[in-house]
Amino acid sequence: MRNTWAVCKREFKSYFLTPVGYVLVGMVSAITGMAFTLSFLTFAKITQSPGQYSYATVPDFEETFLSPFLVFCGILVMFLSPLITMRSIAEEKHRGTIELLLTYPLRDREIIFGKYLAAMGMVLVMLLPMAVDVSIMSYFVNVETPVLVFGVVTVFLMSAAFISLGLFVSSLTHNQITSAVLCFGIVLMLYVIGNMGGDLPKQAPIPESWPAAAASVAAPAYVLARAVLVEMSLDAHAKEMAQGLFQPKDVAYYVLLSAFFLFLTFRSLESRNWRR
Amino acid sequence: MIHVAGLTKFYGPIAALSDASFDVGQGEIIGFLGPNGAGKSTAMRILTGFASATRGTARVAGFEVHSNPLEVKRRVGYLPERVPLYEEMTVKGFLRYVTEVKGVPRMGRTAEVGRVMERCGLGEIGGRLIRNVSKGFRQRVGLAQALVGNPPVLILDEPTVGLDPRQIVDIRQMIKDLGKEHTVLLSTHILPEVAVVCERVIIINQGRIVTQDRLENLAGPGASRTLEDAFIQAISAERREEG
Ligand SMILES: Nc1ncnc2c1ncn2[C@@H]1O[C@H](COP(=O)(O)OP(=O)(O)OP(=O)(O)O)[C@@H](O)[C@H]1O
Ligand SMILES: [Mg+2]
Repeated sequence: MRNTWAVCKREFKSYFLTPVGYVLVGMVSAITGMAFTLSFLTFAKITQSPGQYSYATVPDFEETFLSPFLVFCGILVMFLSPLITMRSIAEEKHRGTIELLLTYPLRDREIIFGKYLAAMGMVLVMLLPMAVDVSIMSYFVNVETPVLVFGVVTVFLMSAAFISLGLFVSSLTHNQITSAVLCFGIVLMLYVIGNMGGDLPKQAPIPESWPAAAASVAAPAYVLARAVLVEMSLDAHAKEMAQGLFQPKDVAYYVLLSAFFLFLTFRSLESRNWRR
Repeated sequence: MIHVAGLTKFYGPIAALSDASFDVGQGEIIGFLGPNGAGKSTAMRILTGFASATRGTARVAGFEVHSNPLEVKRRVGYLPERVPLYEEMTVKGFLRYVTEVKGVPRMGRTAEVGRVMERCGLGEIGGRLIRNVSKGFRQRVGLAQALVGNPPVLILDEPTVGLDPRQIVDIRQMIKDLGKEHTVLLSTHILPEVAVVCERVIIINQGRIVTQDRLENLAGPGASRTLEDAFIQAISAERREEG
């Protein structure tokens, strides 16, 4: 525990001993700030004259403004997480400091969780301006608490998943650019795959000419594959959660994603001990 | 203190170490010699738990490196060949971090940082960024981090490479002093250094241990040859055998 904390502290500090930390925090506060202002203004205009925006009555505040904004913040983290984690392990390999790190009396889990926590800390700092925006707003507007709490939890869970993916990718390479690009690619792929799954026809498009036996295997396989694709979507789960709907599968999705990539990170770091 | 038996390490088809065996007793200062690419750094990396061996065992203070790495790492201070350091940290900040990860108790950390800085002559540059210190001082910072926690075994990979003559003399003296309390395994290409600092020499060539003997048996006033002769002979004998 103490060792995890030591690793985490050094890691977190070094985000701010180099420009990375400042650049990220500055960029995110600017972007979330602008998005917040713009969508808030739009919502204000809608409430003035709902008819003009083809709403029958004044629309629900949470549904039209708050949840989309929170999901937007989650997606922002998704696109920036490769920049947070690209250095985590790749830079240690590039500079050779991994040789120190791995010869200090540390367990693998202390190293990995230390780095993981530091990156999550970085996400927290990045999202601080967003929290300020939202809390100022909730002072003036009566917000449904479950939506707010659950929305913030969503953003956080999403970040946890992206960070563990990034950590894993960073452990694969010596090069920060490779690490960032690879991580970005995987994130984007998960994002696109989910949407693609939704567009596939619900019923298996199996030709009539197929023998019954083949069709009876192919049809369920198709349905399963489509369901997996749909459930893999990175933002669909977030959208549901940010509405304040608690569904175990949405939470499980992000928790499992985190756990899976953390597990792979362990394997990746451990591979040095394999007798080859 | 260090016991290596049948250590073999393959990098793909290249055998960096083949069936190397040697022992280092408690409190000895051992010179680890060999031409470039002989496998010195590889052996040290295995001993410190950074790399794994393909075959064979390596024990430090009775603990097997592969099966009990944590116990070994608690007892070994390591200066890697390239002296990798966290460039963006200050010397003091870095050493402070090392006291934390090496498990120095909270109350003793400041004192420990002070002790290793004093020992390595880093008094004046504690506040400098590591990125900005000269090669010689980098080397000292590397040595200082190895000394943190006062581990009984020190493994130093070419600690005097790239230093000016005065610094070399300083660092040698430092290592000699360290040898009074620590077991030191030291690799180097500078043979006079070995003559000054070490008690015993292990010569490795193409991954094989070719000689291990006390310094005075290999060279010195009594013997008829110099250490250079002994070294050349040891590594060329091996070549003839192969040819
Ligand atoms: N990571 C690696 N991948 C592939 N081959 C390696 C690796 N590290 C070392 N080698 C090879 O293993 C052999 C031994 O290298 P090692 O670094 O142990 O030599 P050395 O005795 O320390 O040499 P030097 O005096 O130049 O430091 C060399 O042939 C080297 O090319
Ligand atoms: Mg070497």
